[in-house]
Amino acid sequence: MSSGPLVGQFDDNVLTTRVDWMVNWSRRSSLWPMTFGLACCAIEMIAVGGPRFDIDRFGAGAFRATPRQSDLMIVAGTVNFKMAERIRRLWEQMAEPRYVIAMGACATGGGPYHQYGYTVVKGVDRVIPVDIYVAGCPPRPEALLDGLMALQRKIDRGRIVRKPETGPV
Amino acid sequence: MGLTPSFAQAPGSEVEVAVPTQDCSINMGPQHPATHGVMRLLLKADGEVLTGAQAHLGYLHRCAEKIGENVDWTQYLPYTDRYDYLSAMNNNLGYSLAVEKLMGLEVPERAQWMRVLLAELNRIASHLFAVGTYGLDLGAFTPLFYTLREREEILDLFQEICGARLTCTFIRPGGLFNDAPEGWLEKVESFLCRFEERWKEYDALLLRNKIFIERTAGIGTLSGNDAVTWGVTGPLLRASGVDWDLRRDQPYLVYDQLDFEVPLGVGRQGEVGDCWDRTEVRMSEMLASLSMIRQCLDKMPDGAIQHPDAGPVLRPAPGRAYVGVENPRGELGHWLVSDGTKHPVRVRMRSPSFCNLSVVEHLLPGAMLGDAAAILGSIDIVVGETDR
Amino acid sequence: MTVARDACWGPAQVHALAVREAFEAITASGFLVTLEEPDLPLHAPEGESKDLARRRKQEGDLSVWRGDPYLLLPEASQLVDVCVSIREDLGFSMLYDLAGCDLSADAANLQIVYGFLNLSRKQRLVLLTEVAKDQLHLPSVAKVFPAADWHEREASEMYGLIFDGHPDPRALLLPEDWEGFPLRKDYVFPEEYGGIPWA
Repeated sequence: MSSGPLVGQFDDNVLTTRVDWMVNWSRRSSLWPMTFGLACCAIEMIAVGGPRFDIDRFGAGAFRATPRQSDLMIVAGTVNFKMAERIRRLWEQMAEPRYVIAMGACATGGGPYHQYGYTVVKGVDRVIPVDIYVAGCPPRPEALLDGLMALQRKIDRGRIVRKPETGPV
Repeated sequence: MGLTPSFAQAPGSEVEVAVPTQDCSINMGPQHPATHGVMRLLLKADGEVLTGAQAHLGYLHRCAEKIGENVDWTQYLPYTDRYDYLSAMNNNLGYSLAVEKLMGLEVPERAQWMRVLLAELNRIASHLFAVGTYGLDLGAFTPLFYTLREREEILDLFQEICGARLTCTFIRPGGLFNDAPEGWLEKVESFLCRFEERWKEYDALLLRNKIFIERTAGIGTLSGNDAVTWGVTGPLLRASGVDWDLRRDQPYLVYDQLDFEVPLGVGRQGEVGDCWDRTEVRMSEMLASLSMIRQCLDKMPDGAIQHPDAGPVLRPAPGRAYVGVENPRGELGHWLVSDGTKHPVRVRMRSPSFCNLSVVEHLLPGAMLGDAAAILGSIDIVVGETDR
Repeated sequence: MTVARDACWGPAQVHALAVREAFEAITASGFLVTLEEPDLPLHAPEGESKDLARRRKQEGDLSVWRGDPYLLLPEASQLVDVCVSIREDLGFSMLYDLAGCDLSADAANLQIVYGFLNLSRKQRLVLLTEVAKDQLHLPSVAKVFPAADWHEREASEMYGLIFDGHPDPRALLLPEDWEGFPLRKDYVFPEEYGGIPWA
């Protein structure tokens, strides 16, 4: 690093920012999702991880196979009673702070299986808290990326050292 | 606790050491990347050798058959997309043919050729995904990214013709939803030219890869007899050397007017019916599909794409009918019972993945623990279909 | 066996001829089966469906049907022997499907359909048997056709059928403690399961 337009232009400097901003920035820039495909939506989730949509651009491309290393659970598909218990357990194994995206109509509210699906849970939010809902059956990859960006905006609003905001965010 | 004398003797050594090993149960899934969805395998292992395997299904049971009894004949079509979400066109086709059989309809010529074209395109997309993720299961990350690239091109074609990427609902009882937009068939042609070149890359990148061969050759061998006994169909059956393809042996649509080869497993790298053979059959089937699509493009007639008798509300004649079609994963069968009303009495779906998976409990014992992912991946299940 | 294109139109995969042959062979072996053949032609004449709907509505006529010919086995107790005969004598080496069926909530019987495939002669055979809803026992064919193993487990949890002699009669798709048989027509949807409300 001996040459470059900025070399030698500044003396040693101090960058000031808020701790909140710093922490939120690092949280939202390295969301590690869990490899957790349930159904059709999982295929679109894989497509998002693929070359064309490339979720890595948002820092969320490091899919982890274990919940203990991941920050983000993308519930991609239909949840049924047999799976609900496992989802709850997986979510509990994730380290705080953890986020959940309900991807697609099934995870949001039962989707096409709402009425006659006797084993289908009508939305994963009956089992675990959900941060972002992504619409579609299955959602297009762009929709999932949009959901991810919405989650990043949500993380940006988080407060760690300041008093929490009151009222609706 | 058990002694395993067969593993106690190191090769070349004269000293026999009895190493006591402990039977242990290993739970694989339901959240496991190699199960391709949510399936649970309860493995029993003695050291590194599997002694038993038990599959637990139902983590994605979505009640498709019950739904079929409660909705209209046409309303059920979108649910067929979601059985095997990697080959929605083929599923649509299987269901539509079964309903048409009850109604006694033969769809117009152009619709038949278009159906074959779409089904084969989807077969390529499905096999691309299967081969790519199989590489992923074995630790080869790169092939998936390449195969996804080609798959996206096919999905673009689907998107242009029907508006959806995965869940098409395009092939409908009585014909098709729509005719191909202008210039679409030329796009298919140009895709085929690109794909033909890239297929060779995948062949070299994955199939002829030394590490890949070592991981798959001679592993998880399924004999032809066993395959038939366990009701295995599709590429798995053909990889075991059984020459059976519904497209040729019980032809539907215009498959009898097409000239194509049915690739069989010959055990080039190991034994007939091993994991490598299954992958090779899938790779070769892509080429066969490619030639079929070319023939479809050449012979595509003009004309209607929808039978005049098939409206939005269908009332098939009372009766029972079974139609099996060759899906990328095997024989997808629909056994429909009608009482002449607009609701089906019974929609039975014979799922290829379900039947193919049932053999896993007999393939795994005796294999090494590290090969479990290789064997399971080579069966290429889609859990939406095994659990329905 | 090659079949003329007319005879094997599109999805007509269960050939009437093959089923008739099988019927004669099974009857000759001393089993009591009946051959059910559709009365409507494979191809519908134009406007047939409207005509049928009208006849059904006005005259309550349900007598005609279309579809695959099948063999009806009235005595489910003979099932294993018939299956052995189908596999050994007739060469149907693959059981490609096994499914239950409940025609209506009032029906006294459940139906179980078996599909056999002969790979060398390219033939299919459909066998149907019935079991009373208050009895529910029928023999398992998993020993003759291992492919029946999972299918029988599924039919068992979906319809409450009991396959005598099944090697591993656990629930397959539903949780072990699931109540009711979902594919029965009189099934009442659950209110909750494991503390999660259904509706």
